[in-house]
This record gives sequence, structure tokens and C-alpha cells, in this order.
Amino acid sequence: MKISELAEKTGLKAANTYVDREVQGVYISDMVSDIITSAKPSSVIVTLQTHKSLIAAANLVAAAMVVVVKGRQPSDDVVELATRSGIAVFVSASDTWAFAKKLTQLGFE
Amino acid sequence: MSVCAHQWNMSRVRHGYLVVEGCFECGGRRSLFSTEPAAPLDEYREGRHFWSYMGSFQSVKFDLECGVCGKTIDLGDVNGVMLSECADPGCAVGALVRQQGPASFVYVALCPDSTHAAGRCVSPEGIDALTEYFNQYLGALNRKILVVPCKMCDSIDRCRGTIIADVGLTDIQ
Repeated sequence: MKISELAEKTGLKAANTYVDREVQGVYISDMVSDIITSAKPSSVIVTLQTHKSLIAAANLVAAAMVVVVKGRQPSDDVVELATRSGIAVFVSASDTWAFAKKLTQLGFE
Repeated sequence: MSVCAHQWNMSRVRHGYLVVEGCFECGGRRSLFSTEPAAPLDEYREGRHFWSYMGSFQSVKFDLECGVCGKTIDLGDVNGVMLSECADPGCAVGALVRQQGPASFVYVALCPDSTHAAGRCVSPEGIDALTEYFNQYLGALNRKILVVPCKMCDSIDRCRGTIIADVGLTDIQ
């Protein structure tokens, strides 16, 4: 599934401009030390975090997109780094569990 | 003899605390990785040094193992990785950062001896393996990562960057 299709079907709002890549998995974590060891390439990372180290880690694991839940807004420098890194950033008003349920309904496991 | 096109995987992943210590006597700084349930806060004398706790954060250590030939790279001398945003005009890492295109990033591999008092840093073999590992999936995305040892930094105190560790994550931004 492409990023744009996932975004449309889950009602996400984009925080940056992005290249529409294929998304191939999901990883949910609020710890960058966990993300760097466990997230897979081309995955969507679902998190509560908006710290810049999140993007620095997502870049290393070649993540396709980051979804920040509970309506938290990443700062401009975080979004700028994500854009440079080719990582799409979205904000969801849902909490982590509610957003995870949307992903499972789309067929992600 | 054929040369393996390594396919690196993380191995021996250890979660724990990266503890930063400073010496009041010489101004030196160093870090250690602890897998204890809580970060150690001890102060202690070691030769002419008196090491005191300066801070800690949750982090991770790992080695690399090639899935093709089985070669392993011990990254015990890597205590962390930092995305460099160095703007120091006198710093070799800063110069490298400025040379990069928009889709190329410089990450600094941080060794335990921040002030390099003993002259050691992350091994060249470790730097090469980390560079290959982090670029395995980025080539198709036209993105590139350069990993450099922290001894390339002119001064770790003036170095600007984002350390990949669970520090500052609860700060209000």
C-alpha cells in the first residue's frame, strides 16, 4: 500500500511533502533505542514522540513514514529533517491503540 | 578468493543505559554502557582521575553479523550514534557535513573515551561495517549515510548533533 492511500484511508494529515513510497510494515514504539533495532525498512512508525532523534533513527532504518498520534505536532526543524530524509510525517488525532486498529483493518499485521 | 558482499544484520543486541562521567581533575569525559536495572551513579577514584556521574539515558548496543559469510564485527567500542549537524568551521566533521548533498547524512560513531585521552576510538572495521549496514536499504531511495569516528570531531563539546538515544524525549518542544 502506498503512503497516500494509507493516509487517505486512515484520515491522516500530512505535515510535510513526501515521495509516495510503498509501505511494507508497521512498528509502534516511543523509544528510539527500540526503533533503531526493530523497525524494518519501508515501515510506518507509529509513535507519541516528536523529538528530532526519532527522525535520526527512522532515517537509519529507512522508514517510509512516521505517524505521530494524539495530535502532537512535531516542530519545524523535525519536519524539515524528515523531508530531507525522504520520510513522510503525519499527525493523527487518534491514540496509539485506535490508530493501530485502523492499520489492522487495512490488512497490516 | 571471493570477497563477500556482506549483508549485515544486528546481533547481540543489548538494551541498557549510556552513562556519562566526568573527571574533575583533568576535565576528561567518558561514557560507559550499563545493563544494570538502573544507571550506576557511583563516584570513584582511578589513578589520578576522579570520575563523577554526569548523566545517563537509555540506549542500545549491538554487533553486526553477515548473513552470507557469518563474519561478525564487534562494536563494543561504539557507545552511541549521533546525526551530525556540526557547523564548527574548524571541525573535519563539520566540513564533511557541508560537503554533503541534501540526501546525504553524516553520523558520528561515539566511542567511550569522549576526550580520546588514550588515543583510541571506534575501529576502522567497525566504521566500514556500520556504513555498509545503514546504507543497505538506502541506495534504492537515493539516500546515503556516512559514518565517521568521533575522533574526527574537533571538540565533542562544540559538536552539534542529535544522539540516537532516549534522552530529552519528554522535553516540551
